[in-house]
Amino acid sequence: MSASRSIGSIARDWRQRDVKVVLSALVIAVATVAIIALFASQLQRTLITSASAFLAGDRQLEAEHGVPIPSQWREEARNRGLRTARMVEFATMLAGGERFQLVSVKAVSDNYPLRGQIEYQNAAGSDRQMVARGPRPGEIWVNPRLMRLLELEVGDAVEIGNLTLSVSGLLLREPDGGFNMSALAPRVMMHADDVPATGVIQEGSRVEYVNLFAGEGSALEGFYQWLQPRLGPSHEWESIRDGATLSDALERAERFLLLGGSIAVLLASVAVAVASRQYAVGQRDTVALLKTLGLPGYRIARLYMARLLVWGAVGTIGGLLVALPVYAFLNNLMARVLEQEVPFAVDVPALAPALATAVVALFAFAYPPIRRLRNVPAMRVLRSQPGESGGKAWTDILVAMVAIFALVWLYAREITLVLALIGGLVALLAVLALLAWTMVMALRRVHGGGNAWRLALVGLYRHRRASLSQMAVFAMTLMLASTLILVRTSLLADWQAQLPEQTPNHFLINIAPGAVDDVESFWQQRGQGLDALYPMVRGRLTEINGEPVRQVVSKDDSVNALNRELNLTWMETLPEDNRIVAGQWLNDQQSEGVSVEAELAAELGVDVGDVLGFTVGSETIAEPITSIRTVQWESMKPNFYMAFPPGGALEGLPATWITSFYLPPDQKPALNEFTRQFPTVSLLEVDHIIERIQQIVRQVTQAIEAILALILAASLVVMAAVVSATLQDRQREGALLRTLGGRQSLLVRSTMLEFGLAGLLAGILGVLAAETAVWALQYRMFGGEFRWHWQVALPIPLVSAVVLAILGRWQLRPVLSVSPMLLLRRLE
Amino acid sequence: MTDLSAAPGKPSEPILTVTNLTQRVDLGRESLTILQGVSLQIKRSESVAIVGRSGSGKTTLLGLLAGLDTPSEGEVVLEGKTISRLSEDQRAALRARRVGFVFQSFQLLPALSALENVMLPLELADFADPAARARDLLERVGLGDRLTHTPRQLSGGEQQRVAIARAFACEPVILFADEPTGNLDNQTGQEIQDLLMALNREQGTTLVMVTHDETLAARCQRRLTIEAGHLDAGKEVTA
Repeated sequence: MSASRSIGSIARDWRQRDVKVVLSALVIAVATVAIIALFASQLQRTLITSASAFLAGDRQLEAEHGVPIPSQWREEARNRGLRTARMVEFATMLAGGERFQLVSVKAVSDNYPLRGQIEYQNAAGSDRQMVARGPRPGEIWVNPRLMRLLELEVGDAVEIGNLTLSVSGLLLREPDGGFNMSALAPRVMMHADDVPATGVIQEGSRVEYVNLFAGEGSALEGFYQWLQPRLGPSHEWESIRDGATLSDALERAERFLLLGGSIAVLLASVAVAVASRQYAVGQRDTVALLKTLGLPGYRIARLYMARLLVWGAVGTIGGLLVALPVYAFLNNLMARVLEQEVPFAVDVPALAPALATAVVALFAFAYPPIRRLRNVPAMRVLRSQPGESGGKAWTDILVAMVAIFALVWLYAREITLVLALIGGLVALLAVLALLAWTMVMALRRVHGGGNAWRLALVGLYRHRRASLSQMAVFAMTLMLASTLILVRTSLLADWQAQLPEQTPNHFLINIAPGAVDDVESFWQQRGQGLDALYPMVRGRLTEINGEPVRQVVSKDDSVNALNRELNLTWMETLPEDNRIVAGQWLNDQQSEGVSVEAELAAELGVDVGDVLGFTVGSETIAEPITSIRTVQWESMKPNFYMAFPPGGALEGLPATWITSFYLPPDQKPALNEFTRQFPTVSLLEVDHIIERIQQIVRQVTQAIEAILALILAASLVVMAAVVSATLQDRQREGALLRTLGGRQSLLVRSTMLEFGLAGLLAGILGVLAAETAVWALQYRMFGGEFRWHWQVALPIPLVSAVVLAILGRWQLRPVLSVSPMLLLRRLE
Repeated sequence: MTDLSAAPGKPSEPILTVTNLTQRVDLGRESLTILQGVSLQIKRSESVAIVGRSGSGKTTLLGLLAGLDTPSEGEVVLEGKTISRLSEDQRAALRARRVGFVFQSFQLLPALSALENVMLPLELADFADPAARARDLLERVGLGDRLTHTPRQLSGGEQQRVAIARAFACEPVILFADEPTGNLDNQTGQEIQDLLMALNREQGTTLVMVTHDETLAARCQRRLTIEAGHLDAGKEVTA
């Protein structure tokens, strides 16, 4: 149809400037969302991979009670494209030279570790090396302390059971050297193929078999689906998300990335919405012209539909063309910062809803006003009779917002997040409406003049429609950016608080009651204070209110604490980081009762007043619950499920003491002296675990900062886009004011004041709305406590005022440099 | 040089003197001469039409006369002040108090009502009660009942009347008009002409107009013809 094609080209040329604005908004929006979505999903994968070193693989399958894991399972995993490795862990006696020592053996297959590296030395005093393999068959790597204890040298022969092995290295650090109280004997590592020859593993031995798996997330997921029905009660399937300290940090980081992505989607929608709206309004004349040319309404609608489709496609492709190189660049940067390989991968599922948002925003904001115009007589469109336009804008916006939030939900799959952001936006719009009313009331009487302040206020009032909608967009943008800033700040503060600089990094366990004073003074002489000392009595929870615990708690609920002995303690004061959530802390005189950790209490279904029965050795005790308390498991301090009062039920039962303390790296040699002087005290070094956790938290922090930087850049782009939407009107006005005798300095000052004021108000609104959103997010998603963030929140309105004042000054540039006469002609 | 001595019977003092005005535009390597050696004088309360073909340099000349632009060579003296020697701010102050403008495309601010558009120059020049004066002016141009209408809600003729009210708001001594009837139909154009001439008579404002409109040019006391950047002396007509 040549007629419609020629009319199409009229429509194209008629308002080319508006088309350019819409297209560039689309490109920017798509590029921003794509970069952030891709980068966030990449970061997430990288973090998980990096953290997976803690498991030495992406997933672990553990089998307790000495039953090996069938080799067909590993076969199946390999068929699914996964890499596998296996380990066997057991305790046994090792003979070296003249002596014997109980050791904790870890026997590993060739592929171990699938993730992370082992740190070892060829010989005492040689360079530390990072290797991605364990000892070869016939070899054994030995913990340095064991080397000293048995006075071994590299090359010496040692015996485990019937097998003689040659010491070929010092085992300094294993990636998955977790925090395991039962593995207190010195560690040795050998090859898994050598285990049968030792003959130490018999039916019923205490052996733990572990299989490791690594590969693509979907393959892992598929394998687990296959595996799940085959798992028995002694099997445990673990991912890095299941560990306490790290999983929490990772989960929050992932949520942060999700929040960042969602905010990017919203920012993009705002940018496209503003441009589309502007475009639609600018199309009135074209629509009127098309009508006078005799084009029926449905053809006009079809024409614009096609046009928007073409722009949507062009904008999306253009955005992707911008995004991919930037993403590749960020990838390289990330690889350098994290010092690990980061493969270039485009996560299409993460991208799709994000891209859809831009196009949906285009249609939702551009199409309805144009569609409505097609029913209006041409003359009325041309004449712009009052009452004909704008009335239905609110329903348009409402429909569009619903569509966009549905997309955000699709993207994030997190209803709390969506609701928090909606809540923040609603709060923002409510306050904005109030502000608008106040502004109309307060500024009505202000008249302009040679004074920049008055001119600025009059400007705000006269352009109230444009000012308010711009302010709404600025405030929304600022709210979204501020939400991210606030969440970031409290996340980082929380992490900092969890593992502060001097987190205890050594535990002393099994201190005999008689040795407690000596141990304390040993460390005091070396200037190292110990944290609180706690007595520890091993006992099993056997009864709840007189009923056997196995009957009360159904077998489906696998309560870990029931499967093993618990460490019972007594304490006088509640540890600083514990918090009572029900009942009352034991008072001085009281010697009855027990305080139970909150999560365990919930799993057992017990509350204050219920009576718990314990078996300790041959004795049984029963105590009512007097309080329930929360515990910071990730604090790296001794934590207890059950705490009794001093002089209570535990009194007189056999106890040993436990404590933790911080030892700076340069004081490590003191440990050798300590182990010589107190051979029965077990020393647990967790400094390297803490170091790794801190390293990962640092990586997570960098990831968060990167996303934040991207979002801030995107916000700036959106604000610039909004300002440029009214650029021509502003420039024409500036030129006219100059023609009418307005001095340049007055123009500059009043414009900067007007924009600065709008920025300040938008900043205040945005921060208030952000605090509302953060309150909801903090409450439901990030698990912290809500605090006002004055020190972060206060500068935001000021920064926004300055940024907008600069933007205002920037758009005035041609007005000041070009003759107003020329500018007016050019802008016609 | 064209002899532009004052006509007998008029106040002889020239309000505007232009000497050897040349304007060139740099186009990279070469430059384009838009005006070449234009000299003229305009007396107080005189009405002058500048005519010529499209692209002959009329609008450029008008911009230079009004001090909206500075010439490449030559000088413009408005009320004894050499415009090219004034700073931008001094020129702005001069425009605010002494000069009025009317444009072919009206140049009203779309977001502002008719009243607010007229108030704009009054506020810039710090008039005492801009709203009252603007209302008064709009009544005089026959728009007393359209004060709150925005430009989009006004017809072309009405918009130009708002623009004229705005141009006369500060009681300028000289008014520059760039094709004031160019966008209007005959009937409406006639009304605008009447209005301009009436204000010229009542307030004694000097009128300098660029126009294609023969009837408007004919109603002016003097007609200057520009051809290819030169003032065509032979075609100067005094009414």
